[in-house]
Amino acid sequence: MHPVVRWFHQLGSPPYFERFAARWAPIAYIAGLLVMAYGLYGALFVVPADYQQGDSFRILYIHVPSAWMSMAAFALMALYAAIALIWRIKLCEILAMACAPVGAAFTLITLATGSIWGKPMWGTWWDWDPRLTTELILLFLYLGVIGLYNAIDDRRNASRAAGLLAIVGVALLPVIHYSVTWWNSLHQGQTIRLFGQSHMDPSMLPPLWAMVIGTHLWFVGSLLARARADNLRRESGKDWVAKLAEPRA
Amino acid sequence: MSYQNYVIAAYCVFAAVMLWDFIAPRLQVRQQLRAARLRATRVGKNRPNEFPLSRE
Repeated sequence: MHPVVRWFHQLGSPPYFERFAARWAPIAYIAGLLVMAYGLYGALFVVPADYQQGDSFRILYIHVPSAWMSMAAFALMALYAAIALIWRIKLCEILAMACAPVGAAFTLITLATGSIWGKPMWGTWWDWDPRLTTELILLFLYLGVIGLYNAIDDRRNASRAAGLLAIVGVALLPVIHYSVTWWNSLHQGQTIRLFGQSHMDPSMLPPLWAMVIGTHLWFVGSLLARARADNLRRESGKDWVAKLAEPRA
Repeated sequence: MSYQNYVIAAYCVFAAVMLWDFIAPRLQVRQQLRAARLRATRVGKNRPNEFPLSRE
């Protein structure tokens, strides 16, 4: 068997995944923290203030990466849920459900920081604008997935039900993305592009990309840590968990 | 205008949520391991004696 294929098979084993997650989650956290520290330093102390928005534009450096992460986490959750439903892979169920709290956290950051930016720039904390409203629905979807998963006692049935909600909910993602072009939105259009020219001064971009990479690394760390907790919860009666819990001399 | 207070508030929200995101799974893992330890102790206590009581 090819080593990569064998590694994938091994990863499906709960004790192996426990060791893998326990090893890699702290590394991803630390890497994410370091990259974000560089990004935050650039965002707060290096990049000049915007000529129209002043310093308030610095909120963008946490708002935009969080917004991207909120949508990416949902897409990944739906993908894991689909794999879990089709091939009945337990690890994918665990990973799908671990995506929800992290994604919800990033959605909350997006809404809160957007609201804080909106007060001085738009003169209001909140507006029922298409982009804001769809992002709020995304938060409710995340909360729905978390609630449904915790409402059913049987872990496998719970993850299937919640996974189905995630798969249906993924239809919201293109609506969020294109809401600024489909409707007459107060929210500004696409300023930063992954491919092609951004409508932002190049001097302002490096901290933003650092924050984007940093939040992704953080997400990996958090995903592994949460998946590890759920894995232990599901395997709580097994010998390997009891051995792991034994106090070390 | 610098809008400094708004910037500080936004970054505080970011830091608080990230801190919760860091701590919450750690507490869950600790809780699961503690539950497993307690379960192992309980099972150990309830296990019947391997050596029957002597009648002598």
